[in-house]
Amino acid sequence: MSSLFDLAGTFAPELVLLAGALLVFLLDVLKLRRLELVGSVSVGASLLALALVVADLGFAPFASLRTLSAAQVNPSLSALATPLWTFTSLGLVFQGMFLLATLLVSVASLSRGSKETGGPIFFGLLLLATLGMLLVAISSDLIFLLLAIELSSIATYVLVGYTRRGLRPLEAAMKFYIIGAVSSALSFFGASLLFGAYGTTNLLAIREVAGTVGTPILALLGYAFLLSGLAFKATLVPFHAWAVDVYDGAPSDVSAFLAGGTKKVGIFAVLLVFLGPILFAGAGGSSNPFQGGPFTLGPILQVTLGTLAVVTMTVGNVLALLQKEMKRLLAYSSISQAGYMLLGVTIGTAPAIAGATFQVLAHVLMKGGAFLVVAGVAGLGIGPLVDDWRGLGSRRPLLSVAFALLLLSLAGVPLTIGFVSKFVLFSAAVQAQGFFVWLAVAGLLNSALSVFYYARVLKVIYFEAPPAPLPTGGAVVGGAGPEPLRAGGLGIGRAVAIGVATALVVALGVDPQPLLGPIQAAASHFVFFWR
Amino acid sequence: MAFGGVAMVLGVLLGIGEASSPGSYTNVQFTWLKLAPSPGPFPSGFELVMGTLVDPISALVLVVVTVVGFLVLLYSIGYMHHDRGLPRYYAELSLFLAAMSGLVISNNLLEFFLFWELVGLCSYLLIGFYYEKPSAASAAKEAFLVTRVGDVMFLLGIFLFFFVYATKGPAGTGGWAASGFVFVHGAAPFVPVGTGNATLLTIAGIMILGGAAGKSAQFPLHVWLPDAMEGPTTVSALIHAATMVAAGVYLLAVTSLFLGFTALDQTVIVAIGGFTAFFAATMALVHPDIKRVIAYSTVSQLGYMVLAVGAGFTMVGLFHLFTHAFFKALLFLAAGSVIHAVGTQDLFKMGGLRKKMRLTSAAFAIGGLALAGIPPFAGFWSKDDILSSVYSTLPSHPAYWPAFLLAFAAVFLTAYYIFRAWFLAFSGDKPRDPALEHAHEGPWVMAVPLVVLSAVAIGGGLLVYLPGFAGLLLHGGGTPGIPPTLSPTDLLLSTASVLLAVGGILLAWRLWGNGRVAPLPSSSAVRSVRQVLLARYGMKAAYDWIGTKGVYTLARGADFFDRFVIDGTVHGFERTFGGLSDRLRRIQTGVVSDYASYVVAGLIAVFALMLLLAPYLLSRLGGA
Repeated sequence: MSSLFDLAGTFAPELVLLAGALLVFLLDVLKLRRLELVGSVSVGASLLALALVVADLGFAPFASLRTLSAAQVNPSLSALATPLWTFTSLGLVFQGMFLLATLLVSVASLSRGSKETGGPIFFGLLLLATLGMLLVAISSDLIFLLLAIELSSIATYVLVGYTRRGLRPLEAAMKFYIIGAVSSALSFFGASLLFGAYGTTNLLAIREVAGTVGTPILALLGYAFLLSGLAFKATLVPFHAWAVDVYDGAPSDVSAFLAGGTKKVGIFAVLLVFLGPILFAGAGGSSNPFQGGPFTLGPILQVTLGTLAVVTMTVGNVLALLQKEMKRLLAYSSISQAGYMLLGVTIGTAPAIAGATFQVLAHVLMKGGAFLVVAGVAGLGIGPLVDDWRGLGSRRPLLSVAFALLLLSLAGVPLTIGFVSKFVLFSAAVQAQGFFVWLAVAGLLNSALSVFYYARVLKVIYFEAPPAPLPTGGAVVGGAGPEPLRAGGLGIGRAVAIGVATALVVALGVDPQPLLGPIQAAASHFVFFWR
Repeated sequence: MAFGGVAMVLGVLLGIGEASSPGSYTNVQFTWLKLAPSPGPFPSGFELVMGTLVDPISALVLVVVTVVGFLVLLYSIGYMHHDRGLPRYYAELSLFLAAMSGLVISNNLLEFFLFWELVGLCSYLLIGFYYEKPSAASAAKEAFLVTRVGDVMFLLGIFLFFFVYATKGPAGTGGWAASGFVFVHGAAPFVPVGTGNATLLTIAGIMILGGAAGKSAQFPLHVWLPDAMEGPTTVSALIHAATMVAAGVYLLAVTSLFLGFTALDQTVIVAIGGFTAFFAATMALVHPDIKRVIAYSTVSQLGYMVLAVGAGFTMVGLFHLFTHAFFKALLFLAAGSVIHAVGTQDLFKMGGLRKKMRLTSAAFAIGGLALAGIPPFAGFWSKDDILSSVYSTLPSHPAYWPAFLLAFAAVFLTAYYIFRAWFLAFSGDKPRDPALEHAHEGPWVMAVPLVVLSAVAIGGGLLVYLPGFAGLLLHGGGTPGIPPTLSPTDLLLSTASVLLAVGGILLAWRLWGNGRVAPLPSSSAVRSVRQVLLARYGMKAAYDWIGTKGVYTLARGADFFDRFVIDGTVHGFERTFGGLSDRLRRIQTGVVSDYASYVVAGLIAVFALMLLLAPYLLSRLGGA
């Protein structure tokens, strides 16, 4: 790993995104601010990066694993020989999913209309945030992990308020920033406590010593701080309060990116930080921090994460029941879905992690697609309330069918990806037995609960009369329809993004194996690596 | 229409292909969902597969479905031309044909169940095709609800079999769970027949029987089929005579071949089959409606098939399924031709139609002879095969005696009721109702199916002596009863049953021939028997009573429960969650410093969880 060329090859997707972001900002300086132009750069960069990641997965299938330390990059740093970056296959899968979210949002945002200002800022920050997310997926050192999260977070703070129009986005951005700052502080403090407990911030090194060295109370305190900080990103209850206001206040395309993309950064970070200690079998010591002797962290962390998961999904679902605004409803549903993903991380077996990963993929498609529909519908002049969607089924048949399929998938109806992911996840929980069966039961009850509010939306769309004639005309462009871009219409880019997301939701529900198989393989490889 | 034709050609080709290479299996499947092996209840993993299996018996039934389906579609052009809603009719009929074909070639029980529900839905839609008629709408609902009882039992049966066989299977396959409920493993039944918890298997078998009884209208779930005659006659011919109602028999056949029934199950199945064969035939004796007579006859004939499958002669039952599909479709289409011409279904208004409708009358007669079991018509070979096969098991299974005797007696009733219908409709000089004078044959599209089906009804039974066709009915190493044996006992039995059938026809001629209308019997005993038969032994009324009174009472109880317990709980929940939600919503203040304090509170909660709750939980649960 000596030559710069090798290094560039290793970080090719990240470099592509960086170059894309810089190009967008350069175009901005050159006053070439046409939305289509900068948007195309973003689409191209994310597509190229996605292709590189997929190629990397395809050429090095699941057995090989690259690690890279600072010492390898710069031989004078021989003290830092532990790997800073670890390219696991599961990490690459997550990179692929992050890029998929970015791609969908970029394509959809091409249809925002040329009047829109701030296109370069939007796409540039989108690419920078994605760069941070990609770096999270390959980090294996706490400090580097937290820095990568910071990179993506700071970009998204600005994204929420970039339009600089109206108070709501600005207020949302401020809230997001303040809570984000508090959470970063907590995370970094947690990392320093762990350094105090273990003498290292390297996750692979911590895995080696977790439970045998260090002071249990100090380590637990460190993990508590770290979890609180990461839970902000993953929108776990009670660290979720910002999410609803921000998803609601931000432009819907940004909400789609936040819900579909950056939230999963938190999930993957939790997985990276906690999987090591969870899997560490230890010396079979006690789990009581008040007793002396050898100590096993895993079960305590599992109970903590499991409780957090159940609380998250339940609170998210219960609050979603009573929402009157579509975006807030989707925001709460998004919070509850984070609970399902955390469930898989908690269990820590290969099938469970595969289930959580598949759930993440499903959520990228379902929730990303749903928020894109919301953004499109807002462009049609329909208000923010669920009741404003009355009778959409007869007025916008294709768009409504797509939205209905996405909601059915969120509710977990068979032949959609949402069913497959929940099936894999809950059956993994049942297979793990013991305490985890109860987590599966809680998850199932929550899925049943969630059907209510999704069904309510469907009822409003299909079985209630429209409030008043729609002010704008024009048919919906479905997929590759020949309908021209027109004011008040959806726009081709958005239609394509929604169409692709919906098609994938159904296709992967009908036959999940092409992606589920590789994800299962990646997950078992990942677990094998961390054990 | 064209699609139906293509489907028929493909179906017949498949059948010929199977016949030319007997015993071959073509199993195409893909894994829909796969869970990797891991410690737990399914150590070898868990799979759900979707696939098609073409083996001899599915090819046989596929031929039936596609050929009869095509002929009925052809016939419909003439029969339905004056109806509104034709697009709906053809759409639903095509959906039915697709679902039925899917059912036949499913390679696993879950997929089978999916298609099973789909054909049930099509049946519901088509029975209620004339939904503006209240009787049609209620018949559709009745069919749906009654078969639903069977469907639930079927699903329970699948689960029970799964529970028993989940981890059992041929070496290296990891058991039924890991192989996705599939029927076959190579050419052998997937699941080792008859290994496992006998009690559970018996219950599972009874549950499967329940599903089959619902679909195939076996006692006591037979009530819906006669009422299903509210649908168009073409639908009755295709769905409620030839194909869908046979799905129950097919289910029993598949189950007996691949999962196996216990001895007790077999006895119950035989008893149900034999009893239904007789019981339904008695109700056909007096009915004035031409379609309902044939409908009861269908129930009765399905009873024969169930009897055969139950007694272990799966292939003999399927042979009868094959012949019956053709001659019963023939009878229905002939009846449809009559109804098309005269506009009524009342036998007592008809008469003398032989002169106006020679083709139809001949076709009905051929169908009747086949049904009555007169050689060389198709029904004789298969029905007699059933009787002689069951007779051969009587020494070892004395419990089959009552069913055998009932089925044997039903031969006489069958011959009587079908020829009663023929004489009433066709014999004599002129219709009893003068309004029917103008009756005439339908167009050629209606005639062609009658001719084709007549040909099969005459010669179809002899097909069993063709080696290729018999290959379709041979399963694994040799099958008892195929082709029919010709020992002296069998010949004696055949002679007896043919004599019984001829006796039945003669009695029908004596009472109803030449346009005679036998006066209603004067003696009160006969009269009351007739009343009981017309009232269907009161079972319809009893079910209605159960429906109105029993279920109503139950419903009131449930309603009470619903209002006070469930609603109470739900409203309680709502109030609790509403209050909670309200409070939680108030948490969502929008004030950012509040949010920051929640983060801190959350941090403290997480730490408390780790230090206090988790160790406590772990000490109680003994480790996560």
